[in-house]
Amino acid sequence: MKYKDYYAVLGLERGASDEAIKKAYRRLARKYHPDVSKEAGAEEKFKEVAEAYQTLKDPEKRAAYDQLGAHQPGQDFQPPPDWQEHWQSTGDESFSTEGLDLSELFERLRAGRGRGGAHGSMPGQDYEIAVPITIAQAYQGTELDLDLNMPEYDAQGQLRRVPHAFKARIPKGASDGQRLRVPGKGGKGFNGGRNGDLYLNISLRPHALYRASGHDLYLDLPLAPWEAVLGTSVEVPTPGGLVRLTVPRNTQAGRHLRLPRRGLPIPKGGQGDLYAVVLIVVPSVAGEQEAALYRQLGEISAFDPRAHFSEEGSYAS
Amino acid sequence: MRVELTEMLWFEEHAVSFSELSDLTGLSPGILEELVGSGAIEPLDPASPEPRFGAAALEAARHAHRLHEDFELDTQALPLVLGLLERIEGLEQQLQALRARLPGRIR
Repeated sequence: MKYKDYYAVLGLERGASDEAIKKAYRRLARKYHPDVSKEAGAEEKFKEVAEAYQTLKDPEKRAAYDQLGAHQPGQDFQPPPDWQEHWQSTGDESFSTEGLDLSELFERLRAGRGRGGAHGSMPGQDYEIAVPITIAQAYQGTELDLDLNMPEYDAQGQLRRVPHAFKARIPKGASDGQRLRVPGKGGKGFNGGRNGDLYLNISLRPHALYRASGHDLYLDLPLAPWEAVLGTSVEVPTPGGLVRLTVPRNTQAGRHLRLPRRGLPIPKGGQGDLYAVVLIVVPSVAGEQEAALYRQLGEISAFDPRAHFSEEGSYAS
Repeated sequence: MRVELTEMLWFEEHAVSFSELSDLTGLSPGILEELVGSGAIEPLDPASPEPRFGAAALEAARHAHRLHEDFELDTQALPLVLGLLERIEGLEQQLQALRARLPGRIR
């Protein structure tokens, strides 16, 4: 079993008071709790903090933990021979610490003492995972292979991590932030307790061309100045394939040209729209002839792009 | 071993009863009752004698359970925190929608 230094996780010395333990937990929970923190890796960090607190806040468990002795974090160790006898009160001969994680050992203590051990029922744990998918996968629907290590109670009521391989079918039309619940596919319940659920949190991976907003997609459409002035017809990529789009004359930068029902499918039926956001781009290097034509254009054009600067009320007064 | 998943429920489409909501989230019926009473968790059909709860309620109740367990928040504080979390989520969605509308090159 790998040793974890619960005191160090909370930033405390071994003899810390109950009050100090509570304070340290509150401070770290506020920083890393997945419901309030956006820090990278917050959820993992919070799990460590919560695991440490679960054990140290309970006087009995803390005493049991202290008797394991101090080791280096990550160091392999076994509980002293009389430890199990003393703390394991269910009289369960099959109990073995082999292959158990430290948190599972303490979970087992709690199960043994508080919930009637092998005689009570325990609901399986819910499991929540992030499922990033591509826009193409959201468009067509997809099947993903998920390999999870889920905490589960075995026949002896011991909590173990059990590998599970799933094939998850994500229906088409999944959008960013949507959640799927897979009933009964979380950790198995013990002794008649209900199975936990598996929650899949869908997120869309960033795409080189499209930006998603709900089921609508946005795509930058760069136009040359003359295309924007004269109008043109261009081929635009959409998740369903190329589509021809007519750009009207005098199209301004920033305008959104809408391609109805070319966005992501909506599960209940219908489809989002695709918006082409017009950008007017200029060549980084204009050739001699091009430059001459632009000069000529500048001379004959009456267009004043900053006319509104001189309108009434535009000056600071 | 491969397990084929057949039943996948969109949060949005699957409503649950009061007791299912309590079972699913681990939130005690007493606390859930108070949160529904204060309007922090809303049923889809408030007038019904047997109300059903949708995606937003399930999400709020899961948050409430975690916050209650991890921070010992009581039924006074929970509605406040749930309300703020809901506002933050709404603002984040708006921000994402606005970002999608901006041309990529100037972001």
